[in-house]
Amino acid sequence: MKKQLAFLVNSKKCIGCYSCAMACKNQYHQEKGVVWRKLKPLEAKDYPHRDRAFYSLACNHCATPICVEVCPVGAHVKREKDGIVVHSSDKCIYCRQCIEACPYGAPADNVELQRAEKCSMCVERIDAGLLPACVQGCPAKAITLIELTEEKLPDYVKQYPVGFDKFEELNPSTRFVEAVKPKLVLNKKDL
Amino acid sequence: MKKDLLKTGGICPLSRRSFLKSAAAAGILSSLPAGILQAAEWERTHYEGDYETFRNACPRNCYDTCSIKSYVKDGVLRFVEGAKESTFTGGALCVKGFSYPRRVYSPDRIKYPMKQIGRGTGNWKRISWDEALTEISNKILEIKKKDGSLLGMALDKYSGNFGITHYGVEGMMSSLGYTTRFVGTPCWPAGIDAQNFDMGNMWCNDPEDIVKAKYIIIWGGNPAWNSVHSMKFVYEAQERGAKVVVIDPIMTQTAAKADLYIRIKTSEDGSLALGMARHILDKKLYSKEFTTKHSKGFDEFAAYLKKNVTVEWAAEKSGVPANVIRQIAEEFASASPATIWAGYGLQRHTNGGVNVRAIDAVVAMTGNIGIEGGGARYGHLHTWGFNYNAMVQKQPEGSVGYLGKDKIKSEFHGPEGEAQAAYSDRTININKIAESILTTNEPPIRLLWVACKNPFGQDFDRNKLKKAFDKLEMVVTVDQFFNETVQNSDIVLPCTTLFEEYTVNVSYWHYWIGLNEKAIPEQYEAKSDLQIAAMLSKKMNELEAGSCTFPQITDTKVWMEKEFNDGIHKLFGIESWEDLKNGPRKAQLPSSASWNEMKFGTPSGKYEFSSDLAAEYGHTKLPEYKAPRKAYDKFRVLTPHTQFALHSQFNNIDIMRDFNPEPFVYINPAAAAAKGIKDGETVKVVNKTGSVTLKARVTDIVAEDVLVLYEAWFGGKTDFNIQELVDDESSDMGTFKTGAPGVALHDQFAGIEKA
Repeated sequence: MKKQLAFLVNSKKCIGCYSCAMACKNQYHQEKGVVWRKLKPLEAKDYPHRDRAFYSLACNHCATPICVEVCPVGAHVKREKDGIVVHSSDKCIYCRQCIEACPYGAPADNVELQRAEKCSMCVERIDAGLLPACVQGCPAKAITLIELTEEKLPDYVKQYPVGFDKFEELNPSTRFVEAVKPKLVLNKKDL
Repeated sequence: MKKDLLKTGGICPLSRRSFLKSAAAAGILSSLPAGILQAAEWERTHYEGDYETFRNACPRNCYDTCSIKSYVKDGVLRFVEGAKESTFTGGALCVKGFSYPRRVYSPDRIKYPMKQIGRGTGNWKRISWDEALTEISNKILEIKKKDGSLLGMALDKYSGNFGITHYGVEGMMSSLGYTTRFVGTPCWPAGIDAQNFDMGNMWCNDPEDIVKAKYIIIWGGNPAWNSVHSMKFVYEAQERGAKVVVIDPIMTQTAAKADLYIRIKTSEDGSLALGMARHILDKKLYSKEFTTKHSKGFDEFAAYLKKNVTVEWAAEKSGVPANVIRQIAEEFASASPATIWAGYGLQRHTNGGVNVRAIDAVVAMTGNIGIEGGGARYGHLHTWGFNYNAMVQKQPEGSVGYLGKDKIKSEFHGPEGEAQAAYSDRTININKIAESILTTNEPPIRLLWVACKNPFGQDFDRNKLKKAFDKLEMVVTVDQFFNETVQNSDIVLPCTTLFEEYTVNVSYWHYWIGLNEKAIPEQYEAKSDLQIAAMLSKKMNELEAGSCTFPQITDTKVWMEKEFNDGIHKLFGIESWEDLKNGPRKAQLPSSASWNEMKFGTPSGKYEFSSDLAAEYGHTKLPEYKAPRKAYDKFRVLTPHTQFALHSQFNNIDIMRDFNPEPFVYINPAAAAAKGIKDGETVKVVNKTGSVTLKARVTDIVAEDVLVLYEAWFGGKTDFNIQELVDDESSDMGTFKTGAPGVALHDQFAGIEKA
């Protein structure tokens, strides 16, 4: 198996603090409205309490990335050495093919700069021996960087957790730990 | 072919900055207008390496007080990160901290001193610093002449910037004469007094030692949003086998991470704690050693419990079933160490202080005070022993002041100045600003100076506040953004961000100290609070020699250096402040547990279940049950903190809207159905104080008769402000240590209807 770096998103630990999402904007200064990493609150069918469980999502750096396949100018490239799908926005011709093709919605449509763009796993930081901004920036240690190998991950680590769409042909590299629910003791009335 | 492309991996194309870089190389940078390095520095960037780095420290009113490492290139702040040297900050910041580069280069920043022609008109005119200071100085001199004193000048300042040198604003006031000061604190004084009555000080364990706890109750606090760095220690305790229980009227994000979440009736924390205490007493699960050797009044407390409290009574009052009360009481008493983190929300009530005392009592009677991993954790000021050099300034000779015995109290430091002067400042409860301005005469408050505070964003009964401001002859506000207080001011002075000055910061929660260096030049014409004080002093003395004693030092580094002393050096194991350039340092403590020597700061030197001092301040000696404030409307209104803002700061930053686009009122599905309110519909929340109109978000995180609206000023095009719904009712405690009681912020009520 070729080396594949991946995000491990631990929803059990995620506190919905949005530090990861803003750590990305702190590093790249995307325009207002342009977001590479976002928090997806789990829907009621997947977690019973609204806005209380999240998946921190950016590019999944798929094994078979559709963006690489559809990009006519080679702006999306999967690196041989670690499987990171790097996007070079200076090559982008704003054909929007990646934006339309990626079922996970990873490429963002930058209307202002007229280009597609997405998370490249902080490839320059990685090359400098640093962690991606979101990984280092998570105060709860709920996003970590892992290397996918032949070795099987523990059962509680999932590729397709509840509430995360399954697109097997892409083989997304992101792995998840699902959120848990506390035991509840609830009074109905406060007054 | 693809392989070749891989090598470059460039994320960002040529930018305006690349132009600047070549401009710098060509040596033409100095000939460019100054604005070019400031106006649009929030532009696309990527990790380049070879940065100049600086130490900064977040000065916001927050548990975490993060040590920050700032990355600068070409005099521009590129990005920030948490200092890795601090095991508390651990390389990470929060969503607010990571928004700092945008805040520095926000197009919305106030760039120059400005004057509003007609308060509230929005007709702002740029003026020079000289014009602004001349106008203010003339007003000060006019007041002195008219009233024979400067008591007509008042300061409203609190927690907008906790950098130690920012107490220079208080110093500036003293350097002008005896003035009127708003004293006290809105946030946490009831709990401070409670812990002082019980233990003789507010002194919590090192939060990092919570990993040693076997049982953790987080009570009325939401660290998942408000102390994000503490969560990793809570998780580690969980991983080591600890049980985590969250008690809160709201199912907070912290509650979602607990093993057990208990939704208590708001402000009934006392009944629940007393019920737990009664059960612990009955089961003889209390610590005989602690209660006999280290405490005073345990027998009276036990007698009170036996006479007045049963578990069933506590269940009835608190809404927590009796079997659950028994279960958590037994589990807590049987685990060692066990700890309770008493959040600040829990004491923002008319019975908040005494409720904290009841919670302290549960921790104390089980022998969990003074041990590592244990403790009744609330906060501490153990590391705040600076010189307050900037704050302590002498009044000009011949100054006339208030002939009372007012002494300015603050939780952070001792009384200002030791002099036994005949005169003093006139002090007024900070939580009653509107009422005080309206009713204070002889002399009335004529000139109000606002710094590090946004009263229209954070104070209570805003309609009354508007009337109060109308009575003022001049309002000067020092700020970074055109908020609602600025709208109600005559002159606004632009102030620097933390990256544009030197200071030093410590926390009221963790035990680290962080240096704050000037990483970039002052932006536009912004000045720090200290520079403003120095410039005002210069102008005052020009107009009337000897009218201001404030040193005319404008180098914030000089001021920062003057705050250090041997005590601070020793506590943090440093030779001088310069050691902090290598990173934040942690206080060297003999134990991570507070009160580890069992020598309490109370009059008896013991833990006081029965406190005579509490009685002196008008409270019961024992932590007796006190009923909550009576509801004055159908729903309880809770207005806690969101993760996106610190009081009225950060919500207004445009990129924060990417993740927090608009405010909501959170309502239970049953209540929404009964009112015919659908999710996302616009509703009006109304009470005796005012009203707000916003969208409803239907959720089971609250009980059927509770509404939640997260604070605070939202900025931008919305005029949303939850303070429309909050009156100025006082909490029970606070006067002992901070000079005034706090505010019963969470004892508010309202009705809700479709808009």
